[in-house]
Amino acid sequence: MNTKGETQVKTILIGFIVPVLLVIGLEIICKLEIFPSQIVVAPHKVLITFFDLISTGELLEHLRISMYRVLTGFVLGATLGFIFGTVMALSPRSERIIAPLLSALSQVPLFGWIPLLMLWFGIGETFKVVFIAFGAFFPMLINTFEGIHGVPRSYLEVARAFEFSSAKLLHKVLLPAALPSLFTGIKLALGMSWMLVVGAELVAAGEGVGYLIVWGRQLFQMDIVFVGIAVVGSIGYLMFLTLNALEVSLISWHRPLSKK
Amino acid sequence: MKSTGTLSVTNVSKKFRVNNNEIHVLDNINLSVKAGEFISIIGLSGCGKTTLLRLIVGLESDYEGDILLDGRKLNGPSLDRGIVFQDHRLFPWLTVEKNIGLGIVGKSDTEKKEIVNNHIELVGLKGFEKSYPYQLSGGMSQRAAIARSLVNQPEILLLDEPLGALDALTRMYMHKELERIWKKENITMIMVTHDVEEALYLSDKIVVMSARPGKLQKIIPVPLARPRDRASVEFAEMKEKVLEEFMLHTEPHFTYTI
Repeated sequence: MNTKGETQVKTILIGFIVPVLLVIGLEIICKLEIFPSQIVVAPHKVLITFFDLISTGELLEHLRISMYRVLTGFVLGATLGFIFGTVMALSPRSERIIAPLLSALSQVPLFGWIPLLMLWFGIGETFKVVFIAFGAFFPMLINTFEGIHGVPRSYLEVARAFEFSSAKLLHKVLLPAALPSLFTGIKLALGMSWMLVVGAELVAAGEGVGYLIVWGRQLFQMDIVFVGIAVVGSIGYLMFLTLNALEVSLISWHRPLSKK
Repeated sequence: MKSTGTLSVTNVSKKFRVNNNEIHVLDNINLSVKAGEFISIIGLSGCGKTTLLRLIVGLESDYEGDILLDGRKLNGPSLDRGIVFQDHRLFPWLTVEKNIGLGIVGKSDTEKKEIVNNHIELVGLKGFEKSYPYQLSGGMSQRAAIARSLVNQPEILLLDEPLGALDALTRMYMHKELERIWKKENITMIMVTHDVEEALYLSDKIVVMSARPGKLQKIIPVPLARPRDRASVEFAEMKEKVLEEFMLHTEPHFTYTI
């Protein structure tokens, strides 16, 4: 166990090498004043601004607002995606009816919807939540559909031989079998939601981390822009790590990748 | 002797349609199985033996003729017929005990627990209740699958090459186990196999099928005393007798193919 713990620490530390080198490099470049300080900011200045923004409570307030938008949009979009995906996988007829429309809609780049959504929902919270839900909907839909549709026939035969009811079939066979795929959907949907909240806030917002970045640029305070970017990246990465850990603990029976 | 678990297959034929071609898989099969009998269906790949078994389970429909279980015509799958597949088909997300308990219907939780425990004991998996399928060997998985198939006390148990994926030694061990379970449960068993020794070791009757279209070639009773001794002269003679059916079929008289 000890050596295993050590190698785990090592694999985590290895991921820090490149970022640390980058920071040192940037620091040197700034020291040498190769670029004007309005364009490239020394990392230590970004760090100071970061702590300033934390101590005034500004950053956390922006984050709270962005998080709230992400969660509402994600829950709305992913739930709808899950429902549509399940229905399409269970009923070939419903798939034939709605799949062409949904595939066509999914081809439209998400930012292409912004003008239309703004016309319909204004530039307030509804617009942002709907936009995020849009982004979360498709990855969840596709992965739910693939997951349930791809459940091996052999499992279905077991369910038939044991006379499972439809509810029991869904609950005890289809959903557990599709769980790895559902998780992929959740991860992609949440990642997309986080990207879109920043996007929406860049376009139209008075608060939120995306707004923080725009605001920093307008004031020509590149340190704030860098804080915004770093925070967005770190939070996104943390979300990904949390979901991965949750996945591993929930799908312990799904060995093919972790078994070696 | 139980009175339930008799099966009669009368004039059963089955065709599949593949790209507008009709393929005759089973042709006029007649077979009757007494309660508590152990029957093996043996034949080359593609002779329709698995299809016949799937018809009896109810996983395939659309056939001509009649299949009656205790005089009643079959109508789709039912809990009165248990099935063990070649691949164990345990659900990988459930533990052994949950896999076995999943099929039980209309019982209280305490009854369920007792049934599961009894069957885990029956197949010799005590101590592995909480294991997941990926933690089991092939033989153990198949034991769990057998336990699962028996929990609803079916009248007849259908086994589709249940030991086909196991190594030779485990398989011989499982023959003994299957015979013990068969005796203890006093149940009719029909097993599809391509292993002559396996069929001889376990069966009261061996049904030999020929291919394209699948026909019933011969029914060979096996009157040997149990437990059977693979090394005995009688066993070897019976084996010759069964193998002859295939020699005649696979090689034309007096010619050799290299």
